[in-house]
Amino acid sequence: MHHHFNAYRHHAAHPLASVDARVKLVSALALLVMVLSSQGIAFPLVVAASGLALCLQLGTPVRILVLRFSEPLFIALMVLALKTFFSGSVPLFSAGVAGWELVAHRDGLSAGLLIAGRILGGVSLLAVVGFSTPFTELMAALSWLKVPQVLVDVALFAWRYLFLLLEDAQVVYNAQKNRLGYVGCRRALSSLGTLAGVLVIKAFDNSQSITTAMVQRGYDGAMPASVHRPLRAVEVGSALLFVSAMALFRFV
Amino acid sequence: MLAFSLLGAAPAHAMHISEGILPFPWALAWFLVLVPFLALGIRRLNALAREDLSMKPLVGLLTAVVFIISCMPIPVPTAGTCSHPCGTGVSAILVGPLVSVIIAAVSLLIQALFLAHGGLSTLGANTLSMGVVGSFAGWFTFRALRRVGGSLAVAGFIAGLVADWATYATTSLLLALGIRGESPLWPLFAKVVLAFLPTQLPLGILEGVITAGMVTLLYRKRPDLLLKMRVITEKEVPGNA
Repeated sequence: MHHHFNAYRHHAAHPLASVDARVKLVSALALLVMVLSSQGIAFPLVVAASGLALCLQLGTPVRILVLRFSEPLFIALMVLALKTFFSGSVPLFSAGVAGWELVAHRDGLSAGLLIAGRILGGVSLLAVVGFSTPFTELMAALSWLKVPQVLVDVALFAWRYLFLLLEDAQVVYNAQKNRLGYVGCRRALSSLGTLAGVLVIKAFDNSQSITTAMVQRGYDGAMPASVHRPLRAVEVGSALLFVSAMALFRFV
Repeated sequence: MLAFSLLGAAPAHAMHISEGILPFPWALAWFLVLVPFLALGIRRLNALAREDLSMKPLVGLLTAVVFIISCMPIPVPTAGTCSHPCGTGVSAILVGPLVSVIIAAVSLLIQALFLAHGGLSTLGANTLSMGVVGSFAGWFTFRALRRVGGSLAVAGFIAGLVADWATYATTSLLLALGIRGESPLWPLFAKVVLAFLPTQLPLGILEGVITAGMVTLLYRKRPDLLLKMRVITEKEVPGNA
């Protein structure tokens, strides 16, 4: 799992990585709304292709891209199949599957393709933002967008200790595996329950020690506010131009 | 055999609603439905944090635990794919359903941004199904079973199972509403449920086992934590009976 989170490291030198996270996030959200409200498949596909190209240009390894897109692709295919075979009224072709006759519909296929296009477009946008922006900057951008501070605080705590817990989980899992803890269904289920319990105990214990350490450094329940550098006119201008150009393509 | 290969995880083909799948009006509508629950959760967490400074770090760490649990890829051969437990049954039992909504929202946000599980536009719908429905279903089931004398293990198992199945039933409904177009809702809902049934039936049982295992381990090893979170009473602490 680490490779997903570490992907940003490969891209730190790319110009897109130095663009303010607020500019990237707001631009991505604007494009996302356009993708979701699109009634034709061309716009979402153009966004998806541009996003994928940007991810590749950022230097994202193809394997990570495949991993990132496999779940949305699976869901897109499920939706496409559901819409093609179980909705619509204009028959396209029929196929016999295990004694059942499935009828594909032209209008169902069009609707399914539109949804699949939106999925790919949306996922590409998020991939570009995720691959080009460190998590802490994204959280600072969310804070600037007036997302409640307590949500941002919890996300920062979760992010900070996620990797420690992952390592703990790996250690416990290896110990269980070495003691044949995953041999047989009954024992495997029991081991999995124990693993979850151990993680919860570690979470409790770590939260106590973290709080003690933070209180000694002046923590009074509020995390320090994020400091934002002034927005650069050239970044805002470029983003505005890009989003406007895409909007022109989307609506004209 | 259950395969647990967390760190080298292949992607879990979960049933979070993917980015882009909901039309904009539906995505917005689910965010608006979520807002009151999120507001109540924030108020509850702020109140708890005023009493106990360790609450925010604790909720952050529990979010990481839920994130890890919901990233455990479980192969489901009948569906030819993988899926994962939700973990919100666990968090709802420990910190209550309102704070569990926050845990689910943050966990889903991180998954959307870095794993493409779910998405930003579907964060409202996914948090509604996993955070609100899953947490409340799990919490009510656990409390009700404990009230009628159910053991921790039985109450934990059924709470985890109900939380998981309630989450996926809600997700199926939200998905069917979002993609149905002109088609009638209920036949499409039934087809979505059927499509994911081979995955979600065993996963609900798995979620129940994880929840029961977690609660019983805490009871055996650290009953003080269950007492602190008001899951058990003073009388139920081993040695105090």
